[in-house]
Amino acid sequence: MESTPTLPIPISYVSGRYLLFSIDAVTYLRREHNICGVLIGTLPQIPQQNVFLGLPLELMPEEARVLVDKDVACIVDEARAHDGMRSLLEEDRRQYLRDLESQGQLATRMLSDRKDQQREQSLKEIDEKKAKGLAAKAAKAAADAQAAASSTSAPTEKEEPNSVFAGEDESSSLSRTTGTSTPAHHQAMGVTPTTSYPPLPHPVSPSAQYLPKPEVPLSYPLFAHLHSRGYFLSPGLRFGCQYVAYPGDPLRFHSHFVVVSAEWDQEMNLMDIVNGGRLGTGVKKGFLLGGPQKRRDEVESEADRIETVRTFSIEWAGM
Amino acid sequence: MADADEDAVRGTTVEATQIEVDLSDETQDFRLLNHLNFLTDTSSSSLPRRGEKDFEPNPTEFQADVLSASRQAMHNALAHPRLHNPKTQVIAIYAPEGPPPAPAVTPGQPSRGASVSPDACVYVPSPKGQYFKSMGQADRKGVIWLLPEEALYLLERGSLDIRWPTSITGGTTVGEGSEEEELSIPMSLQAAYTCLIGRGGLTLERFTVFSSLKRIGYAISRAPGWDDSTEVDDSVDEHSRDSYTQPLKRGAGLAGILGSIFNWINDPKSTSSMAAGPVIGYGIHRNYADIYKKLALIPWYDPTLAPTRNTLNTSAPFRVIFYVYKPSTPIKKSALPPPDFRIAVINTREQTTAPTLPELSALLESTPLDPPRGEKMERQMYMRLRHGYRNVILAVVDQGVTSFLRVADVAFGKERLFEGSSAPTGPKKGGNFRKKKR
Amino acid sequence: MASSQQAQSPPLEPSALTRLIASASGNPLAATTIQILHNLQHQHLWTSLEIHDISETSIASDAPPTLISGIPPHRVYTHPDEQLYMLEKGIAEDDLRPERLFVIPTAQGQSWSLRRMAAAFDSLAILELSESEEALSSGESVDPEKAQKLDEYYERKANARETKEWGTRRALLAMTNRGMGGEGTVVYYVVQEGEVKPRQN
Repeated sequence: MESTPTLPIPISYVSGRYLLFSIDAVTYLRREHNICGVLIGTLPQIPQQNVFLGLPLELMPEEARVLVDKDVACIVDEARAHDGMRSLLEEDRRQYLRDLESQGQLATRMLSDRKDQQREQSLKEIDEKKAKGLAAKAAKAAADAQAAASSTSAPTEKEEPNSVFAGEDESSSLSRTTGTSTPAHHQAMGVTPTTSYPPLPHPVSPSAQYLPKPEVPLSYPLFAHLHSRGYFLSPGLRFGCQYVAYPGDPLRFHSHFVVVSAEWDQEMNLMDIVNGGRLGTGVKKGFLLGGPQKRRDEVESEADRIETVRTFSIEWAGM
Repeated sequence: MADADEDAVRGTTVEATQIEVDLSDETQDFRLLNHLNFLTDTSSSSLPRRGEKDFEPNPTEFQADVLSASRQAMHNALAHPRLHNPKTQVIAIYAPEGPPPAPAVTPGQPSRGASVSPDACVYVPSPKGQYFKSMGQADRKGVIWLLPEEALYLLERGSLDIRWPTSITGGTTVGEGSEEEELSIPMSLQAAYTCLIGRGGLTLERFTVFSSLKRIGYAISRAPGWDDSTEVDDSVDEHSRDSYTQPLKRGAGLAGILGSIFNWINDPKSTSSMAAGPVIGYGIHRNYADIYKKLALIPWYDPTLAPTRNTLNTSAPFRVIFYVYKPSTPIKKSALPPPDFRIAVINTREQTTAPTLPELSALLESTPLDPPRGEKMERQMYMRLRHGYRNVILAVVDQGVTSFLRVADVAFGKERLFEGSSAPTGPKKGGNFRKKKR
Repeated sequence: MASSQQAQSPPLEPSALTRLIASASGNPLAATTIQILHNLQHQHLWTSLEIHDISETSIASDAPPTLISGIPPHRVYTHPDEQLYMLEKGIAEDDLRPERLFVIPTAQGQSWSLRRMAAAFDSLAILELSESEEALSSGESVDPEKAQKLDEYYERKANARETKEWGTRRALLAMTNRGMGGEGTVVYYVVQEGEVKPRQN
């Protein structure tokens, strides 16, 4: 879990957007670089809801840019990379299919093991239930949950990095599928892999060509400034602003600011300050207004603007 | 709560109560529960109760542990593989060239293939399962062709195994036999996004709107305005498709206002006099309604008289691109009923400002008249006002975050408050803009 | 009827506020300053109000020409960490000596920009230097224990000013409304330079 993927991390450029498909990259960037992105995909284990979403992770161009500027990531033109599907060696193709097949067999085996375990477990629980009261059992459930949580990371490290089950909580995550199906013992499950690497060769190599740095909006210096101060930033639509800034991982922390960027001499309506201040205070956040003192035409690169950012935190005075 | 909206996103109350029910249910499998708890733990809505989100990081080990557990849970949830049980596996093939052109139709024998969209690019040789009731188009051979959004959605939810065509990856040509199918390479999620997003006008924003509605049970089809560049074709009468025909009355333009004033002056029954004297005239007034009617001098906008616009006579992004049907609406793919909702998709990075009045008006005029109907509406004025006479839903997408807004054309002038004894009922809130839901 | 009587009555006397604003020699920005000063004095009961001409000190020519300062009857802003400290030490707001607070007067519709905001704050830095000595004059406490606590508090506060733990340089942004005939409403927002975490109450 605490693994570091090979750097730079390839960010997929797909039809003008920046996406991540590798779970390890997603976890790593969140943990080490305060980059959260937005999950936009369907979780196959619970597909009929919008509360928890899955891969891919969409990155704002600002996020991709920050990572590229730090040499943590590079931008890969996926359409071009996937042209590589046309030049797969026959041998590699067959090897890949064999790998998928064995992954499918592993899945089949795990599912049937899982089913047996389930049966045992429920028998055991019926016994326990007779012995103990319901309240005691609820407490145990909580304890079990934590025990399982701490044990999940252990088997993960033994997995092959290429396995679709890398980082998988074997004992529990396949349970959804078990409920609906009982696969025959010998027949392998079909597998839809998450990424295309393999069969494609890893996109990052000394000879590889990457796309240029992402184009960013004028608000980028403020984004980069806040990011450099440790804030986690996410798109601001929900609060009618450009970014929402969190003091820590949004998984665990409330946001502190609704953020709006402006150019130094950009004419602004005072009413917008009132709106922002009032909106922020209404949701217990500050309204953060800021921007770089330099225009783009005054500097060599965006990096020079980031250092000139000044910000102002605004709250309703309550009078 | 500070993050009311975030709460909604990260763990609805429904979700939370379901978990609680699971916890107290005796027959539950607790490892399954554990798994679900991991998921919900990311919203901190289950084991440590919701609301345990902290204000700011502190150096305690407890906080670090909780965060690390949340991240682990998220990691586990995201690492879940997409597996296909051999018994129920549905295999599809990616066809980058699109469907083969439909052969010339022999007279008197309508071709089934005629309905396959040229944008379709994934086909299912032997379709089975529930998903093709509302998705895909069958060609003459009974092969189902999927639009890129349909194919990607199905692959993403683990319900479709899309294969690379052997024309690209080499190897045996895929035929009817299952043995050969096994030699084709499954498309990864990454490959599917790469090949399908950007095809035939499918932007990532349009796809996220499509999939977010599909996930919660809506049926969706592309509207005629899907292609941004399609303009009004005079040879096609779009109006006749709409079940509702517009009365060709005068709109509420300047001419309309002048006209109504003119009518008012010439009204022979009028008790008023324009030349001099009070606005309500010198006549005898026996009730207030008469007087108020006379006092209604200010012209108002009547959405029922607004001109109807061809849906193609609008400009992107303020243009209906999706028709959406409630799960309860019976759907026949061959003859789609009028949609329950019409959706325009807006990318905040391309459209950074709110729509102008002309843009919004054009969008609303391109939707059919949908006046408030039903017993409840009849009774409650605020429900009528909120419902409006035409409506459209704006799906605003900001880098993967979507907000749905319902915009309705409201007729305040049609609510004659002086008529009828009933005082306004219902909660007094909202205008014609209302956040629908997240 | 009543209306006819009203028509004959003499025109209304200009209000005290109108007369006050009219005294501002036709300069619209000066009028704004006076109107806000009036509002602080009479609606919010601020005392020791002063108008500071910063047109000289300000680096940017388009900065607001004046700032207002005064002493509010109650504290307008307490940083969350400062509040926590006070709570832990048992210090009430009333125990503290009054603090002078600066106000940036603006009017709805006035053009504004980050540059202007920054210029106002830069002037503030210069003004605060000259204000700091005056602040130490008041605040003798009867209770020696409390006096000790307060001394510690002031020391802590001086330290926090350096480290910006309890927020940064701050001012109130005051805005009068001018639309709809300008009925005289003034709204106040606390502005601090930099990222200062929000209050939670």
